[in-house]
Amino acid sequence: MKAAIQLNGVSKIYKDKKAVDNLTLSIAEGTVVALLGPNGAGKTTTVSMILGLHKPTKGTVKLLGGDPGDARVRDRIGAMLQDVSVIEGLKVGESINLFRSYYERPLDLDYLLKVSNLESEKNKMASSLSGGQQRRLNFALALAGDPEVIFLDEPTVGMDVTSRQLFWETVRAMAGKGRTIVLTTHYLDEADSVADRIVVINNGKIIADGTPGEIKSETTGRMVTFVAGPTVTTDALHRLPGVTDVEWSGRQVKVFSNDTDALIKALVLENFDMRDIEISTGGLEDAFQALVQQAN
Amino acid sequence: MNQTMLRATIAQCKAELLRTIRNRRFVIFSVIMPVLFFFLFSSAVGGEKVEGVDFTSYYLMSMTCYGIIGASFTTFSQRLSRERSQGWIRLLKITPLPSWAYIVSKIGAQAVINLFIVVMMFLIGGIGKHIDLPVSTWLSCGAWIWVGGMSFMALGTLFGSMRNADAVQVIGMIVYMGMSVLGGLWMPISTMSSTMQDIAKALPTYRLGQGAWNMLGGGALDWTGVGILAAYVIVFMVLSSYIMKKQEAV
Repeated sequence: MKAAIQLNGVSKIYKDKKAVDNLTLSIAEGTVVALLGPNGAGKTTTVSMILGLHKPTKGTVKLLGGDPGDARVRDRIGAMLQDVSVIEGLKVGESINLFRSYYERPLDLDYLLKVSNLESEKNKMASSLSGGQQRRLNFALALAGDPEVIFLDEPTVGMDVTSRQLFWETVRAMAGKGRTIVLTTHYLDEADSVADRIVVINNGKIIADGTPGEIKSETTGRMVTFVAGPTVTTDALHRLPGVTDVEWSGRQVKVFSNDTDALIKALVLENFDMRDIEISTGGLEDAFQALVQQAN
Repeated sequence: MNQTMLRATIAQCKAELLRTIRNRRFVIFSVIMPVLFFFLFSSAVGGEKVEGVDFTSYYLMSMTCYGIIGASFTTFSQRLSRERSQGWIRLLKITPLPSWAYIVSKIGAQAVINLFIVVMMFLIGGIGKHIDLPVSTWLSCGAWIWVGGMSFMALGTLFGSMRNADAVQVIGMIVYMGMSVLGGLWMPISTMSSTMQDIAKALPTYRLGQGAWNMLGGGALDWTGVGILAAYVIVFMVLSSYIMKKQEAV
């Protein structure tokens, strides 16, 4: 498979802080990749370097086999960036048409209005749209040139549930047509449901890379959850075999362990005060937390 | 240059024009105010002579300059600042639109706007106040204000390099009004003290007006004025590109 994006030993150093540290990453054409990581992990810097907005201090970046600054490469990409507002003084339809004019083979205006769910806002001033609608307009602008590679940096912030569903449906449809999609998001369930591949970044380094299933199973994702009685304490739980972490929310407690079978036996034998016991594999959220904690 | 680039540049230019016409501040400062002031003062002081020129035609030139300078100051600079602080420039950078096309479309749109102001003011002066000038004077004055007025884009760019669009609005307005008054666009500098006249002569606002006033009196193109305006353009362009480079160097 051909690589749509290829980073080789890429570092970005701001003054004395390493935002991205010797990152090597290859993204195959037609895949949906989610970049995850805590705030300040280097996700946005990485995306900026792939897009040619920042120059790497070290290493090389190839986008669609070329230089991201090349107009011919830019004709084949689209992006929703963070902290980009809408253009003032133009209507929604006019903004989209302006962006369509930049590309060789733009998509239809009607199609773009439909997938961004802005059909009834076509003649409204872009600046009068709500935050979520403005994000959707930015999505339409990102798709204006029928891009082969689409970057979505925190795309669904501010969108309501319906828009979010339509948004991910469209993204999936794009992926189905062989488009490469790179996204960063704080909503891990979204990454879990849409991505083929998840790359976890922390302190500018890749700490995990695999399918959502692999990421979840490789980490200490198994846990026992129950509603604890008043006698149960964190210390007592930590003394049990194989416990890696204990998390409380109210009286509900999550006890993480590599060996949940041994853990449940011990809990019963030692007569812990428990109700509503569940044994489960953690979601991506838990896997992500575990990964970041391990790395730190 | 291929077809798409040409089409994109024209579309970008059209969008700039549309945005300017829709801007309330533009309509107030570059259309309503100059027209209103022109009628008000030419009616009050009409018939008198300034530097050997009929006041009404003298003041028509002043107000045309005032409108054009306002378009660069209040509309252009603030838009530039907004586009930079709100991430537009960043988004445009990842599109195939070349950066020169962005600059060309800004200058092109401003040229159309400025020409519109000149034609509008001259029509109002000619028809509304029956100013009777030789065609060659109309043309030379109009061309001077149109071309010379473009130099204020450089000053607009300097203000636009500030990230805080609200500050740009306030400071831009103060400098715009201040320079217009001090430069003799509101009242001829012959009504001012000699110190104030010396200050005025160093200002680009005065220099733009003076070029037109001079031609009204039958004078030729004033090369001192051209030189001073050109010097301002160079200084402002160097300053603003230095500031923008600095802001981007992260």
